[in-house]
Amino acid sequence: MVFIHESSECHTLEGQLVTHLDHIVSRVILLAKLPDNKHRREVAKELRAHLDDLGEESRSQGYDDEATARIVRIRFGDPHEVAAAFAFVYAPERWARRILQAAILVAVSTVAVGLVISTVQSIAAICTATSVLSTLRDIHHEVFGLAAIAAGYCSLYAGERLFPKSLARALLSSVTLGLSLAAVLAWLIPQHVALPLAAFTCAASGRLLQRVPIPFVWFAGTALPLLIAWMLFGRLLPGWQFPWLVWLGLTISCKALREIVRLFERGCVEDFA
Amino acid sequence: MAFDRELLKGSIALLILKLLSERDMYGYEIIQESVRRSQDAFEFKEGTLYPALHQLHKRGYLRSEWRTGETGKQRKYYSLTAAGRKAAHRTEQEWFSFTKVVNAILSKANS
Repeated sequence: MVFIHESSECHTLEGQLVTHLDHIVSRVILLAKLPDNKHRREVAKELRAHLDDLGEESRSQGYDDEATARIVRIRFGDPHEVAAAFAFVYAPERWARRILQAAILVAVSTVAVGLVISTVQSIAAICTATSVLSTLRDIHHEVFGLAAIAAGYCSLYAGERLFPKSLARALLSSVTLGLSLAAVLAWLIPQHVALPLAAFTCAASGRLLQRVPIPFVWFAGTALPLLIAWMLFGRLLPGWQFPWLVWLGLTISCKALREIVRLFERGCVEDFA
Repeated sequence: MAFDRELLKGSIALLILKLLSERDMYGYEIIQESVRRSQDAFEFKEGTLYPALHQLHKRGYLRSEWRTGETGKQRKYYSLTAAGRKAAHRTEQEWFSFTKVVNAILSKANS
């Protein structure tokens, strides 16, 4: 409603009628999926001025508030239709904004995962009296794994946002991305496809179990896929001698990603809705 | 006379561009003017007019500006850009060609 009050500086109509006109405008703004607050304010102000003109025209013809409200409603048409037409006009801007926001989320998530994993590896190196530099020197080899953790987590989050009423659909979108990732990785790095895929699955299932309102249950989400992957491929791959360390890195990463997603929702959820 | 909605949709850009080629107007004024000129035959619905105005604005055919009228009310006036003038001329030519062809077909069919 903030958009309406900002725009109603010089209205001559009063009382119930004003509330009625505000309601029409707010319905349109709510449903129009406009790309940002600037557009929302602009459209709200413009439509409000238009409804004022319609209202004043009816009042000047001698109609009372109730009749005027009815006439305005009929002449303005269905707010859903008006909103749908605006949504169609601004669809390219809306999608561009969403894609940009998603890209920022994935980039920030990948960097955060990189920081978490390198911190965990550094601490492990210190604890085992190994050189930290030699541990971190090869971290760029794990870039696919780091990106896979961010992708796994963010893909399920994106699915939840796209299909808020259907967990099955949300999961399907995440699985589809996982399979696509598997195909690309099998082509790019056929010898090392297991680790990024396991990381993807762990992050996605971690996110899935974070929905369960029981503390620490989601630890199992990162542990189970990792355990299965370790049993199947663990002995074949370097760096998997310490699965608990991999699990720790994954779990802390999921915790960090959860906080990043929360921050993202606070900043962007209005535009995403 | 009630016109088919799809028919009106196809010609709305032309009508807006032509009306604005005469003078700057705001949305309500465009509706009033179209009602007056068509002698109440049709009027734009808000659901058609405002999104169309925003679409033409996005394409660079219109510019808009908030102006305060004598009553102290603010209104968003639309005016044509140079590209809008060209588009108005081109769309008008297309419309005349189109109606000419349609009329030719209809007159043959009726004869």
